[in-house]
Amino acid sequence: MGRALAIAWKDILIEFRSRQFLGAMLAFTLVTVVTLNFAFDLDRGDRTSDAAGALWIAFFFAGMLGLGRAIALERDRGTLEGLLLTPVDGGTIFMGKFLATLLSLLFVEAVTLPVFAVLYGLPAWHPWVIALAIVGTVGFAGLGTLFSAIASSGRTREVLLPLLLFPLLVPVLLGAVQATAIVFQGERDGILAWFNLLVAFDVIFVTLAYLGFSFVIEE
Amino acid sequence: MQSTRQGTGRWTALTGIISVVMLLIATYMAFVYAPTDAAQGNAQRIFYVHVPMAWLAYLAYVVLFIGSVGYLWKRNQTFDRLARSAAELGFLFTTLVLITGAIWGRPIWGTWWQWEARLTTTLILWFIYLGYFMVRSYAGEPERAARFAAVLAIIGAIDIPIIHMSVRWWRTLHPEPIVINTGGPNLPDSMLLTLLVSFIGFTIFYAHLMLQKMQVEMARDRLAEREADFLMRPVGRSKNETTYPTTGREVTGASED
Amino acid sequence: MDDNLGYLFAAFAVTWLMIAGYLYYLNGQVKTLREDIEDFEEQAAEGR
Repeated sequence: MGRALAIAWKDILIEFRSRQFLGAMLAFTLVTVVTLNFAFDLDRGDRTSDAAGALWIAFFFAGMLGLGRAIALERDRGTLEGLLLTPVDGGTIFMGKFLATLLSLLFVEAVTLPVFAVLYGLPAWHPWVIALAIVGTVGFAGLGTLFSAIASSGRTREVLLPLLLFPLLVPVLLGAVQATAIVFQGERDGILAWFNLLVAFDVIFVTLAYLGFSFVIEE
Repeated sequence: MQSTRQGTGRWTALTGIISVVMLLIATYMAFVYAPTDAAQGNAQRIFYVHVPMAWLAYLAYVVLFIGSVGYLWKRNQTFDRLARSAAELGFLFTTLVLITGAIWGRPIWGTWWQWEARLTTTLILWFIYLGYFMVRSYAGEPERAARFAAVLAIIGAIDIPIIHMSVRWWRTLHPEPIVINTGGPNLPDSMLLTLLVSFIGFTIFYAHLMLQKMQVEMARDRLAEREADFLMRPVGRSKNETTYPTTGREVTGASED
Repeated sequence: MDDNLGYLFAAFAVTWLMIAGYLYYLNGQVKTLREDIEDFEEQAAEGR
């Protein structure tokens, strides 16, 4: 676990030190949220479920950017080989990468949510929305870390990653959007059920990704 | 070795002949023998191809899953060939379920498509198959492609039931579209018999295609292996001379049957 | 109701055409493979 944290810490340090990428990811998320307003007219009171969808699409797109980067950076600099030479097993490398992706995404989301709340007058800073954001992002980052490793060796990794990831993440997207829409509508019924379901997805997806990662990075 | 190959050839021929005969009978039964459905008219007859296609789409995925688990476990080329062959056929059948389903849906539902759990799951299945081929073709060296694709196939196998369940839950929270009851267990015997003949005929046909495809893949692997052996043979005198005298085995390391 | 006959024929036609297309493609694979094997055999004979 300590080793996983060290890998995560290393990645996060690189991100924050360069700062450009995290900033770019954040700017991209905000631009997406604003652009989707022109597509769906989200400011009108009856568009709460569209707003929930727009929010999660923005998060998923930002996440896709972040993921494409996580392992591509290592491949480009050739540091993954170095990491593989160290006596650290694949699962630990996965946990490190996963945590780094998760934390940088949560950072972007933490800034986006209050902005979203202000722009659309929706309770996006509600504890339930924050809880859902965390739970939804864990599942995304879990499968995402595995598939960014799979896609990174390809020549077309930018296209390959969403093509592989989006279909498999349908349950997470569905659950997260439905539950967020319920909060936006000012209701409570059914949130807990979706939340529990998302937690179950997280457990399954992160476990699968953890187990699969060792098979992917063995060279 | 020679006898097993002859055996495979015999099976290929046998399944080919049986399936062609059965499918001809099934087509006759679907068009002539089976009665016209009172509610759906002739469109109901589409089910005699649609239902077997749906079955094969998922059966092929089960085979893909078995091949993938087997490959990651044993690292045996035969398992990977099984997975490759199943994926290609599964993709064909999934495409056909979606198309025949849409052609049935148009006159009966009045729409080509419904965001209903089974349809949505099958569409996602189609995308997973597509992703599988993308991974295979872009992953580079064959061993790595096989490994990556196997991981994807296994994750997909576990994900598909989850997708089905989540879509069903999502749809039941929304107003349910009015769907005409499509039969259920109390089909007339003649319809059931037609479906059964078609079902078995298509399943044997699938077995036939699998045998053919597996043989093609085996021949391809053998050729690649021999080419690698040839290029890396101890003393390089050809124009593509290599400096690796004895590493030929590494390339084809997986065991052969 | 009889109009649905068009849909019925379309469904069967698509199914069999796509399966025929797949068989054609498979046949093409066998053919190129056979040629590749012949090419290799020739090369190997020359190289040795």
